Amino acid sequence: MAGQSGHRPADGDFNAISHDRRFRLVRKRSRRLAMGLISSFLGWYFLYIALSAFARDLMAHPVIGHINVALLLGVLQFLSTFLLAWRYTRYSRRMIDPLTAQLRTEADIRAATNEAVIAERRRLEDWTPPGDHRQARHRMGGTR
Amino acid sequence: MTSETTGGRALTIGLFVTFILITLGITIWARVNTKNADDFYAGGRTFSGAQNGIALAGDYMSAASFLGIAGIIALSGYDGFLYSIGFLVAWLLTLLLVELMRNAGRFTMADVLSYRARRQPMIRTAAAISTVTVSVFYLLAQMVGAGALVSLLLGIRSGETFLGMSPGTAKVMTIVAVGTIMIFYVMFGGMKATTWVQIIKAVLLMGGTVVLTVLVLGRFNFNLSQMLGSAADASGHSGFLQPGGKYGKEVVGDTVKTVLNKLDFISLALALVLGTAGLPHIVTRFYTVPDAKTARTSVNWAIGLVGVFYLMTLALGFGAAALVGHEAISEQDPAGNTAALQLAHVLGAYVGGSLGGDILLAFIGAVAFATILAVVSGLVLASSTSLAHDYFGHVLMLGRPRESQEVAVARFSAFLIGSLAIVLAVIARNLNVAFLVALAFAMAAAANLPAIVFSLFWKRFTATGAVAGIYGGLLGSLVLVFLSPVVSGKVDPVTGKSLSLFPAGVDFHVFPLENPGIVSIPFGFLCAILGTLLSKEAADRTRYDELSVRSLTGIGAHRAVPAPRTAPAGQHAIQDHRP
Repeated sequence: MAGQSGHRPADGDFNAISHDRRFRLVRKRSRRLAMGLISSFLGWYFLYIALSAFARDLMAHPVIGHINVALLLGVLQFLSTFLLAWRYTRYSRRMIDPLTAQLRTEADIRAATNEAVIAERRRLEDWTPPGDHRQARHRMGGTR
Repeated sequence: MTSETTGGRALTIGLFVTFILITLGITIWARVNTKNADDFYAGGRTFSGAQNGIALAGDYMSAASFLGIAGIIALSGYDGFLYSIGFLVAWLLTLLLVELMRNAGRFTMADVLSYRARRQPMIRTAAAISTVTVSVFYLLAQMVGAGALVSLLLGIRSGETFLGMSPGTAKVMTIVAVGTIMIFYVMFGGMKATTWVQIIKAVLLMGGTVVLTVLVLGRFNFNLSQMLGSAADASGHSGFLQPGGKYGKEVVGDTVKTVLNKLDFISLALALVLGTAGLPHIVTRFYTVPDAKTARTSVNWAIGLVGVFYLMTLALGFGAAALVGHEAISEQDPAGNTAALQLAHVLGAYVGGSLGGDILLAFIGAVAFATILAVVSGLVLASSTSLAHDYFGHVLMLGRPRESQEVAVARFSAFLIGSLAIVLAVIARNLNVAFLVALAFAMAAAANLPAIVFSLFWKRFTATGAVAGIYGGLLGSLVLVFLSPVVSGKVDPVTGKSLSLFPAGVDFHVFPLENPGIVSIPFGFLCAILGTLLSKEAADRTRYDELSVRSLTGIGAHRAVPAPRTAPAGQHAIQDHRP
């Protein structure tokens, strides 16, 4: 397991998680977040590009001294980028991260338990008893 | 530089050598500390969010953006700013994808793309080809630029000699030297060395830019309007402070040409904003941190740094226009790449006389040099990672190479790609290859982005779709550029000289735009969609569910903490993480 820490999720675990209510919520929220972010920044960016290409008189209009609309809108693109990045991060931190952390921890515990069970079963199976019947019964009980 | 003294040149060289010695020291340290594939490809995944963010910004702020954008602003005014806005806004798309890709992948983009595929080779090969193509084109632009720049920095002009070399020889030697150092960083130091080189360079670049910005604004009593006014006056054009000086030019009496120019501008904007998230050297940097949350933090750092940096280039560009002047800049370099350096010289002289000018010029020159070296190393690392991990590891060795073997192949690939880049750059050293940067962005957006987005979000997407999207976007962009005016048929109306790759007289251009993005990006998406709908294979729904769970929650993601080893390092087969 080079570079992979924790435990490998058990087969079928992913399928179970994908039906988990919290996972569905995470998916819904992150999709909505992504859609919101994409539509706002691409819309605003291409509005600005369109203005730069087709509304040059408006862009050249001076506002304060030599500072014109084009320059203000350009700087506004920077500010809106910072703002959107901050909002995105804040939303993920509050509404998504706690849920995914929960799912991750639980999956890790399940995987650890699963690994322990497999290891224990293998240990018992590999053990060849010198004719001890109670051990064999115990093994059968363990797998049942 | 026209007025640089021998002392100034010695100082420039001294600073170059210091930078090289320090970074070579780091490379040797990194070599000792690089033991397995995680170390080589991902720096052990132990960088903090801030460190990786600074390195991301370092990877992104190439000499083309530092010197190039300042130069465009100095010569053409406002339009240089349009470039920086596209470069910055693009990071929001990266922010959206970074966590998903960090969670689902291991070292490369192809890890994410091939996750749902039943058979990996086809898609891994396509991803490796796309990664290497995009990187080598970008690399070529940087290295040819380096040759021209370092000759300029050292003040070698035609007719002069430097250490007994003619300017032509000095240019070739520069390209070879830059290439050799770059190969050394990557081959020996891997991601650890490359990241530290990137961090040092980013800090130097930000520091140098802050100093210049403060000095420029100081000259105008921190009055922005006054600076813009003097820049506009000195430029002599009427529309210097508004869009339209360089992109989307209006041709009086020719509506078709005007519309084409505007489409070309929109096409460039599209490639800039969609390309960043698919650039291989940015994507490989998602994997150098412990987890997805840290990866997000690092992108936020990069957004902050890149944003502040591009705001400052505004001051550098307009400052150079006002203080150095159009004529002096275009005399030194018609593309304006030396504007920031000339500005440094003027500002230094204003503060500390002729010695001050030499010192500041030497410092900014060394920063520009560090920038080139760092960026080219990042590119070589990204492509050798993909070649070794995707092509060698998953195609030739069917996903079961020994880890030590794969890393050895990666080192050798770095040597191979680096050497190829040196040879190509030497051949192309006198050509106008500045368009290659925009082309690399267009290819990244057209070939890589559709495959990434559909793999993560489209349930029915198949491997055939991914392969079709990658090849379609890549070839579409290449063919369109080959048939465009940047390759043939663009002639300066006044002098009759060729502005294309080919000399005047050769003209086979059919596609009217210089930037292919507006056609090739939708084409890449279309190929991915058609490939999916027309292929007979059905998408694997279980694998899709698995990928969504992995990418959204980070369950099963590759983390920093190494598993305890039972055998000596390097003896394991790299385990496939798929169940």
